[in-house]
Amino acid sequence: MKKPLHKHIGQGVRNARNHFTKYLYERDTIFATIWVFLFIVILGSIPLNLGIMNPIKLGLKDFDFNDISYSELGKGNNNPIDSHIVIINISDSDRGKLSFIIEKTASMNPKVIGLDALFFGPKDALTDSLLRQSFRKHKNLVAAAKYEEDSNRSLVLSMNHFLNDAARSGYVNFPNKALETTRYFFPVKKTGDTIFPFFATSILQLYDEDCYHKLVKKGDTKVMINYSRNLTPIRKQYQVLDVEQLLADQIDSSAIQGKIALLGYINESPDFIEDKKFTPMNEKFAGKSIPDMNGIVVHANILSMALEKNYIKKLPSWGSWLFAFLVCWLHMSFFIRYYLENHIWFHLVAKIAQVLSAILFVGLGIHLFDEYRLKVDMKISLIAIIMAVDVIYFYEAWATWMHKKYNYRTVFKPHHH
Amino acid sequence: MKKLPFLILLSCFTGLLSAQSSSFLLYSFKGNVSVVEKNVESKAKVGKMLNNAGSVKVANGSAVTLICNEAAMFTITKPGTYPLNKFGDSCKISNSSVSANYVKYVWAQMTQSTGSPGSNRKAYMNTVGAVSRGDINNVWIDPRLDTVNYSGGEDFPLSWKSYADAKEFEFFLYSSDNISEPFYKATVSKLKIPVGDFEKKMKPGNTYYWTAAVKGEENDDLKVFNYVNNSTYSQIVEVIRNQGAAFEAPAEQAYRIAFMLEDAHYLAEAYQYYLKAATVDPANVLYRSTLMSFKKDYEIK
Repeated sequence: MKKPLHKHIGQGVRNARNHFTKYLYERDTIFATIWVFLFIVILGSIPLNLGIMNPIKLGLKDFDFNDISYSELGKGNNNPIDSHIVIINISDSDRGKLSFIIEKTASMNPKVIGLDALFFGPKDALTDSLLRQSFRKHKNLVAAAKYEEDSNRSLVLSMNHFLNDAARSGYVNFPNKALETTRYFFPVKKTGDTIFPFFATSILQLYDEDCYHKLVKKGDTKVMINYSRNLTPIRKQYQVLDVEQLLADQIDSSAIQGKIALLGYINESPDFIEDKKFTPMNEKFAGKSIPDMNGIVVHANILSMALEKNYIKKLPSWGSWLFAFLVCWLHMSFFIRYYLENHIWFHLVAKIAQVLSAILFVGLGIHLFDEYRLKVDMKISLIAIIMAVDVIYFYEAWATWMHKKYNYRTVFKPHHH
Repeated sequence: MKKLPFLILLSCFTGLLSAQSSSFLLYSFKGNVSVVEKNVESKAKVGKMLNNAGSVKVANGSAVTLICNEAAMFTITKPGTYPLNKFGDSCKISNSSVSANYVKYVWAQMTQSTGSPGSNRKAYMNTVGAVSRGDINNVWIDPRLDTVNYSGGEDFPLSWKSYADAKEFEFFLYSSDNISEPFYKATVSKLKIPVGDFEKKMKPGNTYYWTAAVKGEENDDLKVFNYVNNSTYSQIVEVIRNQGAAFEAPAEQAYRIAFMLEDAHYLAEAYQYYLKAATVDPANVLYRSTLMSFKKDYEIK
């Protein structure tokens, strides 16, 4: 008598489940999984930097799977223009012209003005005096500076000749090297009893108390930037005002009134890389590329994140390790079943499983990042899946040796293949 | 029967939603642009919010960029008066999820063919040109035209792109013994000049340099133009012709010669061979698409 279809499907599901779970609770599966992680820890603890010989490691040093979601999957493409922020392109204006720009901007009643420009030492006495007056006059003007360590290893703000004239200031340092992707910032930096605020933190203090307190609460720790908007020839997610149009009265006052006016250098042409940083929004997510985002747009993204309170939550490292252990355990059970019962297919099945798992877990990581703003480090899981196949061979030899020596109970038989 | 009032309500609600007005942010403009609101015309100002009862007037040579509902951007460059309620379609944005795009991306990557040199000439044409350094100019000349070899007779355009909204461009031709003063200058309105326009000014067997700039500006980025003797060119074609397989159809041979001539920067001559391949075997999609692609790359109309 022919079996009905639902029984065929049921049988198929049972068979598939059996492939994964038959050896799941075997001691060998758990011990082999532990060996995978021992190898990861041991190899990771070798004090020699072997990465220099490894072009793949060097190439992927600054790589994050979630960057694909910006460059290839259109994350953030449809985010609306941020109506809290307006960027005024100061271009290469000198100090005198900057003073006019500040005055003109202030006349349109923005709630805060942030000037993302550093001023090294005195220059022309007249223009310096004009700019100094502007700094002194406008109490809602936030000046940019950089923190440095002094001889006592305490932090000091510097690189702004008008720092003492400004009512407020904030540092614009990012905790990455110049050629690395800008992913993090410190909301505040503490040195002794002094607390220095970040540029965006200072701006928020004047613009939105609630958002400011939420950001400051994160303290002197690295906060991941949730990039949501960009400025390219085809994406305009911040209102950018041209300084010549501003000075020629071609700007509607509603564009600035009550908003955060960020004064900084903007050039949307990809050929100009002055003041540009590498960000996860770069068109190339891996390999050699050119910087893609002006510093002021990075600050605008930080402000947007703080104002919309959409910070990225990061799964703690123990969580990533635990997740990786469970994933590896499941794979190990699957691999051992093929290793022992269908060895002729083992390598083919293992390679296919590795590729499919890599696609699945990268996709899962991207989905969690996009949908729940949860960043899970999937790298450990992928490394564990890749190593699992090789560790089975080692484990077989180890278990067989243990069996001979201490009568260790194992599913692996000596020279079974 | 109970469903009827529900359906009427639903259709009314849907109708209301579709009739909801869009807001337009005047993101940027250049030239002479004005806005009309409640029959009052005023000069355009950046940052102004307009509703779909208004309209924008764009003068000749002007442009305006608007952002609809804070998300959909579009630019108007043609002169005219545009009521904003006509831009409903421009306000639509695609809403595909990142996860769905990931599946599409993985599938596209896994099924993408790497192709062969013959079927993807741009990916394999590896003798493109050199990097140039210096002041960034309003005119950009494709590195493919970095060196052009030309044997005469066939017309071919030298083209460029402009970042500026200019109406006139100047073409400069220099001899190899004096690259500071052009011996031929021409003002053109298009972004190209046919070689035929200045062919008679040159002598075969000599090297020349050329560049283009927005009228009144300068461009230091000089490109090489080798006017090759007929005999030199014939020798090259003969070498290429003899490299073919024993049994090569005329269209196949023409396509191969075209490909190798393009690689050797004989662009005008390569065009004639691509044309021949597509004419001899018009059913071949590759020959046709390559010819179209070549014409597009080098601005051949």
